[in-house]
Amino acid sequence: MNVLDYAYTATFALLGAAVLLTLYRLVRGPSVMDRLVCLNATSVLLVSFIAVEVGLRGDPAYIGLVITFALLGFVGTLTAARFAERRAHDRG
Amino acid sequence: MTAADIATAVLLPLGAAFAFVGTVGLVRFPTLLGRVHAATKPDTVALVLILAGTAFQLPDIRVAAWLGLAALFQFLTVPVLAQTLGRVAYSRGEISAEHLIADELADAVERSRQGRGDGGRGPE
Amino acid sequence: MTARPGPGGASPPRTATDPVRTVPQRVLGRMAMGVWLTVMWAILWGDASPGTLLAGAAVAGGCYAAARLPHLPVRLRFRPVHALLLCAHIAVEMVGSSLRVAFHALWRPGRMRGAIVSVPLRTDSDLLLAMVIGGLSLITGSLVIELNREEGVIYVHGTPVASERAVRQLRRQVRRTEELFVRAFGTLRDIEEFEQEERQLRASEEETP
Repeated sequence: MNVLDYAYTATFALLGAAVLLTLYRLVRGPSVMDRLVCLNATSVLLVSFIAVEVGLRGDPAYIGLVITFALLGFVGTLTAARFAERRAHDRG
Repeated sequence: MTAADIATAVLLPLGAAFAFVGTVGLVRFPTLLGRVHAATKPDTVALVLILAGTAFQLPDIRVAAWLGLAALFQFLTVPVLAQTLGRVAYSRGEISAEHLIADELADAVERSRQGRGDGGRGPE
Repeated sequence: MTARPGPGGASPPRTATDPVRTVPQRVLGRMAMGVWLTVMWAILWGDASPGTLLAGAAVAGGCYAAARLPHLPVRLRFRPVHALLLCAHIAVEMVGSSLRVAFHALWRPGRMRGAIVSVPLRTDSDLLLAMVIGGLSLITGSLVIELNREEGVIYVHGTPVASERAVRQLRRQVRRTEELFVRAFGTLRDIEEFEQEERQLRASEEETP
């Protein structure tokens, strides 16, 4: 096992811990906005995971997923955030 | 062990560490706006570092162009997202006043309400 | 985005004096976006053969025609040296403030304070305003919450901000970012307006300290 392998292990461990923490906040809330922030954070972490995987294999097969997930996460969070704002206006 | 491998071995864990600490902030900060800060922007630094680390492992410059495109999208989307989340959070009134030492937007809304006879648009 | 003029907001006078555009001018104005879309298409396909480029240009043109996107007059100049300064500034601020927020995340997060500060901006160009707001929101620890287009005031949430001194520092940092954006991308006229507004602002601040 050389230094690079240790680096990959450390990276996956840190990213995995980050995903677990994000899920904790996602479950706990307390508001819709918190969950939206978590949703976006999860999608960015997912993109990071895929990017590391691409580097680990040296195989660009999954690289399309990097861009696709990044854009999907962005559009999803933005749409939900706008919807949350609309609801607040309707109530007021 | 080449120079590219060393660069990857430094950049990837560094990026993951940024992502991790940002998530710690996401869990521990008491205010929503603080959590928005912690969740969106260290993640950007993390993603850029990770993409750079990955680029050193790729055989082909064309594939690296994809990674550059992903980093560019991240730079374009994060401000929009952060700003929208902040605005919506404020308009929903989900800010805790005891963690703000000044709120000049509320002051301005108050002023315009008084000036226009409660015609001001602002947080409910 | 909030970067749209308010309902009664007057558009800058220079757009009103524009001559009506002819068809070739309109096509040329949209050309840059078409080229950019084609380049992205080529990158996503992974090769730059003539067939791919042709198909990309066709798809870009088709999308443009179908979406009927308006042509935004782009009045920008690009100054490479200032743009490099700007990139360096944003990179340093991003990493630096990420570290600051990271420190607070690990050490007593409950004590972190923020502030929403109003900062009068000195530029009047819509495009520059949008860029400044984007740049500020990219930096950790500052987030543009609301924009008052008529008065040219933005409301920035900054964190960690715990004292009057930190508020002043945040305000200074916002102004520095704005100045770098204007000097990197503004036209001569933008810079002129900027310096004029700057002098007025200084004068009014000296009157009421």
